[in-house]
Amino acid sequence: MNNRIVLERVSAGYGAVTVLHDVSLEVREGELVALLGMNGNGKSTLLNCILGFVRPTSGRILMEWGGRVTDLTAMRPHDIVNLGIGAVPEGRRLVPTLSVEDNLSLAGGVRRGRGSPAETLAFCYETFPILRERRRQAAGTLSGGQQQMLAIARALMTAPRFMVVDEPSVGLAPIVVDQVIDAVKQLQTARGMTILMAEQSFFQAVEVAARAYVLSHGRIIRTVEQGRELADGEEIRRTMMGMA
Amino acid sequence: MMLIDLAANALASGAALGSIYALLAMGLAITFGLLHVPNVAHPAIVVAGAYAVALANGYGADPLLAALLLTVPFYVLGLGFYTFYSRAFELRGRGNSLQSLTLFFGVALVIEIGLVIAFGTDLRSVSVPYVGQSLSVGFVTLPYRFLVPALVTPAVILALWLYLTRTHGGLALRAVAHDERALSISGIDPSSVKRHAFGLATALAVLAGAALIITGPVDPFTDRSLLGRVFAVVVLAGLGSIPGTLVAAVLIGVAEAFVTTFVSPSWAPGVAFAILLGTLGLRPSGLFGASR
Repeated sequence: MNNRIVLERVSAGYGAVTVLHDVSLEVREGELVALLGMNGNGKSTLLNCILGFVRPTSGRILMEWGGRVTDLTAMRPHDIVNLGIGAVPEGRRLVPTLSVEDNLSLAGGVRRGRGSPAETLAFCYETFPILRERRRQAAGTLSGGQQQMLAIARALMTAPRFMVVDEPSVGLAPIVVDQVIDAVKQLQTARGMTILMAEQSFFQAVEVAARAYVLSHGRIIRTVEQGRELADGEEIRRTMMGMA
Repeated sequence: MMLIDLAANALASGAALGSIYALLAMGLAITFGLLHVPNVAHPAIVVAGAYAVALANGYGADPLLAALLLTVPFYVLGLGFYTFYSRAFELRGRGNSLQSLTLFFGVALVIEIGLVIAFGTDLRSVSVPYVGQSLSVGFVTLPYRFLVPALVTPAVILALWLYLTRTHGGLALRAVAHDERALSISGIDPSSVKRHAFGLATALAVLAGAALIITGPVDPFTDRSLLGRVFAVVVLAGLGSIPGTLVAAVLIGVAEAFVTTFVSPSWAPGVAFAILLGTLGLRPSGLFGASR
């Protein structure tokens, strides 16, 4: 079983502007992989390609799972989600006027044949007790950290095999960042979830990720395997910042 | 005594009238209020519904029962209509208001002309036993032709409210108004939700058509006098608020009835807009709209 998500030489952009150039990467089952890069280097575009919100101009995105290969490149976003790719998107994309529980049941309402929604809901509340406490509250009234937790829980409700997490720490207080990153890490260690997480904060990400890709000006300029990162950390961080 | 008498009657008939306005506006509260599709053809669809009901009534069917059965073909019609609209405009990124507005004006004209060709320009009405009779309580007299359709609205609103708050489809409909991408991420196809919503609004139009034609005779151009009022109700309620639609419509209905009784009937059509302008000056998001 070589379950994995693969990007093969993916290029993408908006109109005449190319944002991603020939990006190839893979995330294997059970891995937590970080996608590092400063703002505007193509992290969100790459994740949006996987989710079907941005169409690659060339290249392929494949899901190889359970002996089946599915080409995601031309699929619509909701079909991709229902195939087992959970999304924690940029800006969280919650429905602010719906309650916490309504946001969750919206995502759990489609039959996907991978576990029962009620069980997943119980698991979400177990993972994030604050969400159970606030389940009748409108999502828009939650704090930033709680909203991020809700966005993660909503992705879990779609019964994913693989999760795409876009900058979970953005706009959060440092102590909350730790909580959220820990929660993502927990999903991998305790649930065996496969995760691709975009992050700007280098040290946060390499602490939890098995591998990391560094994206700069739409190209992968470096792949970091765990164990080497501490020695190279400062240098990689400088590369990312464009200082090296 | 005479004054109280007049005021009580104005209040009763105004409330009934308002309740009927709410039913007329309900479909628009979904298409314009929730989906932001400027469906100016809605009143024309209501009038087409009224004709369909009149046709069924010609074979002896009760107008309300006929309307209930007609909701099914009208729902399907709405699905088709939206599919055409989204293929022609939204999916090509041309969903701007002005072009959609032109399309829907065109559709309204086509419906009007279609009705003229099929049925002529004569007034049409339905015959039901209660038309011509009135309910008298104390010194208030209310004709059944207002009272019966007015009572349909609360039932429809209750059903709609239960649907929107208690079902998965209803949740999706409330979500699509805010963020289509939030639906995609939840594994739901936003365009199928919108298509369904449009079908629902069109089905509501035939119920409104039945109410309209029970209230009084209808001709192919009746939609024109309804258009302004119906938009005023939806905007006054605050975009997307379903119960707000009833409150706003009753407010306008009662105000119109009072102006008709105490000032002059010729001022009545201006009342809706006077209230609308006054309210929007104080509360730009409408009476019940969430401020954005």
